[in-house]
Amino acid sequence: MNSIERDRTTVSSTTSGQFGLGPLIGAASTAICVALSTGIALAAGAAEGTEAAELRAPDGVLRICASTKGAPYTMKDGSGFENRVAVVIADAMGRKPELVWTDKPSIFLVRDFLDKGACDVVMGLDDGDPRVLTSKPYYRTGYVFITRTDRGLEIDNWSDEDLRKVKTIGYQFHSPAEVMLKQTGLYEDNLIYQYSLVNFTDRRNQFTQVSGERLVSEVANGTADAAVAFAPDVARYVKNSSTPLTMKVIDQNGLTASGELIPQQFDQSIAVRQGDTDLREEIDAALLKVRPQIEAILEEEGIPLLQPNT
Amino acid sequence: MNSLFTSVSAAALASVVVASAQIGGAWPSIANDRLNELSQNEQNWVMPGKNYSQDQYSKLDQINKSNVRNMKAAWSFSTGVLHGHEGAPLVVDGKMYVHGAFPNSTFALNLDDPGKILWHHKPKQDPLARAVACCDVVNRGLAYWPGDGTVPPLILKTQLDGHIVALNAETGAEYWKLENSDIKVGSTLTIAPLVVKDLVLVGSSGAELGVRGYLTAYDVKTGEQKWRAYATGPDQDVLIGADFNQSNPHYGQQGLGVETWEGEAWKIGGGTNWGWYAYDPDTNMVYYGTGNPAPWNETMRPGDNKWTMTIMARDVDTGEAKFGYQKTPHDEWDYAGVNVIMLSEQEDKSGKMRKLLTHPDRNGIVYTLDRENGELISADKMDDTVNVFTHVDLQTGLPVRDPEYATRMDHLARDICPSAMGYHNQGHDSYDPERKLFFMGINHICMDWEPFMLPYRAGQFFVGATLNMYPGPKGDRQGYEGLGQIKAYNAITGEFKWDKMERFSVWGGTMATAGDLVFYGTLDGFIKARDSDTGELLWKFKLPSGVIGNPMTYEHDGTQYVAIMYGVGGWPGVGLVFDLQDPTAGLGAVGAFKNLQHYTQMGGGVMVFSIDGKSPYDDVTVGEYAPE
Repeated sequence: MNSIERDRTTVSSTTSGQFGLGPLIGAASTAICVALSTGIALAAGAAEGTEAAELRAPDGVLRICASTKGAPYTMKDGSGFENRVAVVIADAMGRKPELVWTDKPSIFLVRDFLDKGACDVVMGLDDGDPRVLTSKPYYRTGYVFITRTDRGLEIDNWSDEDLRKVKTIGYQFHSPAEVMLKQTGLYEDNLIYQYSLVNFTDRRNQFTQVSGERLVSEVANGTADAAVAFAPDVARYVKNSSTPLTMKVIDQNGLTASGELIPQQFDQSIAVRQGDTDLREEIDAALLKVRPQIEAILEEEGIPLLQPNT
Repeated sequence: MNSLFTSVSAAALASVVVASAQIGGAWPSIANDRLNELSQNEQNWVMPGKNYSQDQYSKLDQINKSNVRNMKAAWSFSTGVLHGHEGAPLVVDGKMYVHGAFPNSTFALNLDDPGKILWHHKPKQDPLARAVACCDVVNRGLAYWPGDGTVPPLILKTQLDGHIVALNAETGAEYWKLENSDIKVGSTLTIAPLVVKDLVLVGSSGAELGVRGYLTAYDVKTGEQKWRAYATGPDQDVLIGADFNQSNPHYGQQGLGVETWEGEAWKIGGGTNWGWYAYDPDTNMVYYGTGNPAPWNETMRPGDNKWTMTIMARDVDTGEAKFGYQKTPHDEWDYAGVNVIMLSEQEDKSGKMRKLLTHPDRNGIVYTLDRENGELISADKMDDTVNVFTHVDLQTGLPVRDPEYATRMDHLARDICPSAMGYHNQGHDSYDPERKLFFMGINHICMDWEPFMLPYRAGQFFVGATLNMYPGPKGDRQGYEGLGQIKAYNAITGEFKWDKMERFSVWGGTMATAGDLVFYGTLDGFIKARDSDTGELLWKFKLPSGVIGNPMTYEHDGTQYVAIMYGVGGWPGVGLVFDLQDPTAGLGAVGAFKNLQHYTQMGGGVMVFSIDGKSPYDDVTVGEYAPE
């Protein structure tokens, strides 16, 4: 009986790590296996010894959880804007910044890395995320509509008249935009286009997502009439686009037909593990010192900044 | 020489048909009669399922339980394609027509000298089709239309890239070609068409991704569309008329293709059909099952999601739906209801003779309905280990769910039986009318479904589930074997005359013969013959690769042959074929079938057997090079 359980657990942990891609046999799995072994190595290192002792941030360094698949937030060469913000904060804390990389998408950072003690902070989570302790917010921004400037569309809310001129619209799966599109009546007719952005890859049990860069290029080359994204996902690509693009922050929260409020603007904070109050205090103190440097990085990125709800 | 003779005789026959048609004046039914007639001739195997009743039962008895042990390989043919080979070849008037997995080559062989390929149709296809196909690049077979004197006999085929092609059966030349499914919207074709009268019926695949499923009837002579019936949406799209379900109003009647969906979700509601079709010339109805609703995440589509997961009966001439019985309202396990439907005439429990249809569904229940009015006669568990339902209420037609085995957020369900693969999948089973037994090839696989949610930034969250599949309770959960069963089932009494365990799923289905035998292939690469009465294993042969298709039989020059396609793949074989796109398929198959690789590797072809291996090449001069 035990060995059944053990066997299944093994399968389970392998697969949950990669959402189904783990156990594939064949050439396609090579890259995944590398990612997986990294993950296991990190987690295993942390799992040794007693939890309380090991899951504390070591002195003198700030271990920052980072995904190689998190562009433009995190990028392996350190040029992701969150990588840069993290380094500024670590410096202000008097700690040496250490980026702990994984090839898994960022969405897994808390569960598979922060919680297992492989690293100590995750940048850019929603303020108040219940899985973690969050710092004071260090910026606030929102979802944006992106259109080609030469189209003359000025969409800045989900009831906008100009939204009726939109036939194809790119967005990110699981986002508030997906919820709101269902309210507009655009969702069903647009779905085939949306799936074409991921080459019809099934979303079952794997994290399938459209990159911000892809969304911007779809609008720039005229394939999509518009795109919706969280501003930091697309800001640098909009800024760098050779085709002039218009990016408008969605200025009202959305409401569903049943009256449910769908927020479109969010405070972004730095996450530490539950209970790691010392580290959070250290981060809050550092944030006060380096706010101008952080804002400069965000502005350089092209992110429209709103006033955080502090 | 022989092929010339065949074509002359076919032309002669066709002209006879033309003459009688002019006298009778009932032109549309002529091809029907001719195809039906050909299917009654035991020498032939003219359509998937053998005949309109889809019973896959042959009256041939030259090979029988007293001599089957002497069966030997007669000849073989390689399709030259690796990947899964589902379905079975056709035999018509001395020729065998062989299909294959993508790139979907078709071959014609002369049974007098099968060593020479008469013709080979090799389509050029958009390679994107491979990427869009969910579960290996299989194809389930061909259809044949006998010609009418003006239009030649045709072979109808589907291609993975969504095209239907009619080939001249004599030459292999393309006669017409049309696009039925657009791979650019994620829709492919893997189904075998069914020819009924002068119509060819074809479904659609790709329900995972928001494709809205439909069944289409085309004029077999021109490819002109005659009707198209969607699975979801307004009644005029589903072709639901005023008398729909009038005998069983509790199944639901008008307007439900829209009302049982939230908002306009029916537009992306799935309900494709890629299984098999049955037809009854007396009711003039075609019977088939529609597949799972989309999108997969059930929280996104509250409601019954009609008419997905439905046994549909349609007038074949107009497409109008006469009855529809939804087996799994609001599917939450991916129990796509497209499986085979077999027709039989049997006395019900009260002794009344009835025209029935029987459908072993993916959800682990085998349903029998009156095929004239849709009345539910029986709904039995294929195996007593089915646990998602306690039973099906025959009065309401509704399955009674056990909430413990539901799949929903915040609920970790273990040991759900059947798994998403179903206790029965695409295999084509058989019905022995002498014994009143259905021989069913079964998957004995269960699953864990562990949902989880990962919030990330800016209101984004990802809802996922970890699926693990493993042998059912009767299998060996430590050795990952005991994943299949073969069973003999009586649909009236609900009893199983016999059942046997198999190492892996009996994925391809069964064939029954008057020789008191049941034949089937196994994933680990055997073709087997069992005693129809007892299930005793009488004969087996190890094939070059595993089997996911069904056996067929034919007679040529007085000799009975049994043929089967080999070529492991399909959903259970995705671990062996490198090109996997569907992660759940990967999870399920690679986990559950992890030991398959120790028994077989890829291949693709046809193997033909006879008593003592008798073949055209017993005369060694046949097929020899003869210098002038």
